[in-house]
Amino acid sequence: MFSAIFGHAPLYRSRKRKTGRLFTPAVAVSFAVLLILIFTCFFASVLAPYNPNAQDLYNRLATPSARHLFGTDQNGRDLFSRILYGGRTALTSALGVVAISMIIGVPLGLVSGYKGGRADTFIMRCCDVLLSFPSLLLAFVLVAGLGRNTFNAVLALGIVYVPMLTRLTRSLTLVEKNKVYVSACISLGYSERRIIFRHILPNCISTILVQITLDIAYAILDLASLSFLGLGTQPPQADWGAMLDEGRAFLLINPLLSLIPGFVIVVTVVALNIFSDGLHQYLDPAQTALPGFRKYERKYLKKKEVETDG
Amino acid sequence: MGKFILKRIEQMVLVLVVVSVLIFAMVRITPSDPVASMTKGRNVSEETKNELRIHYHLDKNPVEQYLIWITGAVQGDFGESYRYKQGVSDLIGQRIGVTLKLVVMSGILSLLIALPAGILSAIKMNTWLDKLLSVLTLIFVASPVFLTALVLMLVFALRLGWFPSIFQGNGIKQMILPAIALAMNMVALTSRITRAGMIEQLNSDYIRTATSNGLPRRRVVLVYAFKNALIPVITVTSVQLGTMLVGAVLVESIFAMGGLGDLLITGIKTADYPVVQSVTLLLVFVFLCINLLVDVFYAVIDPRIRMR
Repeated sequence: MFSAIFGHAPLYRSRKRKTGRLFTPAVAVSFAVLLILIFTCFFASVLAPYNPNAQDLYNRLATPSARHLFGTDQNGRDLFSRILYGGRTALTSALGVVAISMIIGVPLGLVSGYKGGRADTFIMRCCDVLLSFPSLLLAFVLVAGLGRNTFNAVLALGIVYVPMLTRLTRSLTLVEKNKVYVSACISLGYSERRIIFRHILPNCISTILVQITLDIAYAILDLASLSFLGLGTQPPQADWGAMLDEGRAFLLINPLLSLIPGFVIVVTVVALNIFSDGLHQYLDPAQTALPGFRKYERKYLKKKEVETDG
Repeated sequence: MGKFILKRIEQMVLVLVVVSVLIFAMVRITPSDPVASMTKGRNVSEETKNELRIHYHLDKNPVEQYLIWITGAVQGDFGESYRYKQGVSDLIGQRIGVTLKLVVMSGILSLLIALPAGILSAIKMNTWLDKLLSVLTLIFVASPVFLTALVLMLVFALRLGWFPSIFQGNGIKQMILPAIALAMNMVALTSRITRAGMIEQLNSDYIRTATSNGLPRRRVVLVYAFKNALIPVITVTSVQLGTMLVGAVLVESIFAMGGLGDLLITGIKTADYPVVQSVTLLLVFVFLCINLLVDVFYAVIDPRIRMR
């Protein structure tokens, strides 16, 4: 629902940075958090102390202890292991969503922007129709038709994310196509395909990349929403959104069942937002002053003064 | 002006027609037999099944089914639900009140929180207060609406007992927690936009003139700058109102409030096609109407848009 509400605009913008470094403290911390998350989730099978679906019915709704780090759920399953496995589902699904939207959206945007004319009008009208759904609603309808499981939720969200990415790529292409290097390519007799994919695309890719890191964050939230409503990942499989939903019935007895998956989602999304912002400022030269210009100025001007003095 | 509005309405109708076809087709992507799921677990003769098919127009081909649905929809009759054995229009009529109330309440609430927060962080730009507010908004954005709702429910309804823990019905007391949960997500964007607008206005020449003329600071900020910063805020808020309809689906489902969202989600889970397609179409229609109003509002303010 987040892309529904905010569009795909960045939600976090820090002040203008003074140097051209990527890893400012905030970005470094968020990057470390992301690395840890990715590492733990993808090695879940090694790191998890228990099988995520193993039930220990004598130990239901246990509070955190040395044996069960986060406690256990209503079926006596270890919450910590389920968080790890759930993270694997969430992260791979989010990557899947972004991959689908990229594979469809970017080429469409490139063609639409470069060719113009009828193709452009047609593609843009299709985007308009898709965008007339408040975004998650389209995912609801698609899931209603396709059936409720993780794969279909990923597919539905992938389609939902296409029009925004197409529009972004198109607007970037419109700017690039009037630049001199494109005229040069045309005069050299390069094919349209070569110009679009070998010359224009590399010049757009950095902005698209920033958008994609943001989209991963939105995809995690939207997938969690779908799973929470029971339209995405189905119960026995571990997933952050689905776990939040399952834990809701035991809110009074053991609130950690819902709060821990929720907390993990928030941390992941905040980290992705900050990282994406850092990436944006690093890749966008307009946002950064020349690296250490003042320092050089001082250094060389002083040197000159010394030289003239001597 | 009239010409502009007419043109936009024409476009909207066109989009609605395409969208309705799309919805109708998407709901039926995977072929399934609604009669089978309707009569699941019961011993029903072929005759009754055939009667059911005829009753729900399932014996006709998809194009005819679509035409029956859409001509009915235009006249306010969305067909009959497979599950509730009741007109979809009645079902919507019973539930739309809760949803509308929720959306309007949280819209107002989000403005009440976001505008002061935005103004405050613009005046105190780059101080600890501004930073604190920006961190808070970031967290509220990253927190899915259902998590905010759960935490609110846990703290204020279950632990502190300030609010009833049953949210059915639409008394004010029942609506407060859901409205706050839905509003918190909106607050972030609105306050950011207010902040950006206020900073831009406060740095402009007329503010300097006003200040140098000796007008009190409070008046300069709240009347002069705020008035001009409000325009983008209004646009964003009105667009948000439309998308809040989808947010309401989530909130209603958590608090089990029995609104349109509940209807839609159970509809999807039970393959109740008439309900799903009609509620979806209605939500898209409302969303498009709000967009239209925003466009008209813009055209009133800015004559250049009318010319296009």
